[in-house]
Amino acid sequence: MNNLWRDRLRRHQLDQFKYLRLIFNDTFVLAFIVLLGALGFWYSNLLDTINSELWFGKIVVVAILFITVQAGHLATLMESPDSTFLLVREKQFYKYFQSAENYSRILPILLIAVVTFLLSPFAFQGAHISALSIVLLGLSAVIFKMVLLDIELLGLYGQHSIANINIKFASELIYLVVLLLSAYISAYIAPVVVLICWIVLMNRGQKWASEGQLQWQKAISDENQRMFRVKRFYNLFTDVPGVTSKIKRRKWLDFLFNSIKLNHKNTYLFMFARGVVRNNEYMGLFLRLTIVQIILLCLIDNFYVALIVEMLFIYLVGFQLKPYFKEVMQNLMQRLYPVSDKSKIADFTKISNVMLLVQWFVNIFAVVYKFGLSSNSLLINLGGLLVIVFLNYLYLPHQLKKYLVNGENI
Amino acid sequence: MTLEIKDLTGGYGQVAVLKKESFTVKDGQVVGLIGLNGAGKSTTIKHIIGLLTPRGGQILIDGMSLKQDVENYRKKIAYVPEMPILYPELTLKEHIDLTIMAYDLDHDKTWENANRLLKTFRLDNKLEWFPQNFSKGMKQKVMIVCAFMTEARLFIIDEPFTGLDPLAVKDLLDIVEEKKQAGCSVLMSTHILATVQDHADKFILLNNGQVRADGTLDELKAKFNMQDANLDDIYIKMSNEDN
Repeated sequence: MNNLWRDRLRRHQLDQFKYLRLIFNDTFVLAFIVLLGALGFWYSNLLDTINSELWFGKIVVVAILFITVQAGHLATLMESPDSTFLLVREKQFYKYFQSAENYSRILPILLIAVVTFLLSPFAFQGAHISALSIVLLGLSAVIFKMVLLDIELLGLYGQHSIANINIKFASELIYLVVLLLSAYISAYIAPVVVLICWIVLMNRGQKWASEGQLQWQKAISDENQRMFRVKRFYNLFTDVPGVTSKIKRRKWLDFLFNSIKLNHKNTYLFMFARGVVRNNEYMGLFLRLTIVQIILLCLIDNFYVALIVEMLFIYLVGFQLKPYFKEVMQNLMQRLYPVSDKSKIADFTKISNVMLLVQWFVNIFAVVYKFGLSSNSLLINLGGLLVIVFLNYLYLPHQLKKYLVNGENI
Repeated sequence: MTLEIKDLTGGYGQVAVLKKESFTVKDGQVVGLIGLNGAGKSTTIKHIIGLLTPRGGQILIDGMSLKQDVENYRKKIAYVPEMPILYPELTLKEHIDLTIMAYDLDHDKTWENANRLLKTFRLDNKLEWFPQNFSKGMKQKVMIVCAFMTEARLFIIDEPFTGLDPLAVKDLLDIVEEKKQAGCSVLMSTHILATVQDHADKFILLNNGQVRADGTLDELKAKFNMQDANLDDIYIKMSNEDN
């Protein structure tokens, strides 16, 4: 069983590594650094404005810690065929799950540590929580995460409640209460209480599990869903095989493309327009990036940083629309349609133009809000326009042609 | 419409699946393309519709090759693939609109045709559905509707009878017959020999990428010296020749 876990873990990590390498490409790292810098700048400005304890300071600290603890689940790495092939090994699976639990602890602990670290200046300044106290609170979060993972493991054996009380719900409630007590009375309360819970679970866990029965169906579908969520996240940045994005009808948006005339020339305009509106992936990409951009532009005072944000985000949206073209072109039927490559490319750049111009237009308001009707405003907006021209009249036509005609990967 | 295949050699990459394959499909003919798994049926079809480029030989539709006039060559063909391929973002109605636009067809006249076909396949109340809501058989019916509403002259159907319910198989055969009467040609590959035996005018037996025999059922019986045989018997005899 240990070998099975080791094999799966190695395969899983190779897989993750492959995707992470694709995600952290140059453009992304650049955008990430700018974003991080902007947020850091905003955070330090915010801290400067806090001079005395805020009445909601402690509540914010508690809420952030409580939400952070929820991140991360038990990664069992189970696969659908397990319920057929490994059914006979059911007894030994507890050991496998223990290894899985050990592995699942790493990321949440790191996350809690980072969040606690970033939170500490605010906790100190805005909530008047001492350094030792914030460390104790972070520690309690780490231990509580262990408790939550233990509870998830029990759930795999169908043990969800003791005396008709849902264990997960009850422990979340207890943790929230002790966190609040810790913040307002003594920071020792939370770590001590969750430590006791954890020790109880460590001692009794295996016995409770063996009283239940391994829920194969649930374990496998939970893991599949977890993997799907992870892959869907990766899919935002790169193509992940087997992840198809959700399609929604959105009838109320039909007016957006109803004016497209149904004639031969518009074949692909018809198709692409519906695609970007209904495909959650591309609609989501557009909305997410545009909203983040507006927020950043409303916050950033520095002309150069604002200019970079304006240009970079427009570039990112345009750049990441490219996979949609590939997705449509991979459909076998489209290769049989008597439509020229030139009109496919022209139709795609039309769609990309409309989307990016909408993004650009919305940004004008944010820029004018921050910089007023000044030459700086004008320059920033011109910068954005320049990126659109570059993308739709130079970069995309060239790349798409390379893909269609020469069959090169783009 | 005449489809002529002369000495076609081709396949995937360096592997030649088809070796000097020749046959013709004439005006108003329904032709069955028959062979074991891996005999080269789908590869032949992929060459005809232009997804693969021949390494040698010629494929002519009414004397015209794909290279000479891509758009007109493509307009003459309608294809129903073995696995249905639909756009996840488009409703059934929009698939029909898209096909009309792509083939530059007359909107109202084609919709009349499409409505008739949709009714036949009991899809007429599902116009607003997305492909993800359709079963495999229903998707196949959508592909059939999109192919048979066009003004193509040659219809190529890859394994049409698997996955369709018996009623739909009958409806499809009726439509094939109708197209035949209108002077169109139909080429279909299949393993369901009993069905194709009663509905095709001519059969092409493929073996190892070559045409082993072609002709009507009677001609095939004569060639294999099996007077009381049906297509199944001939097929099995051909497969045994290798051993």
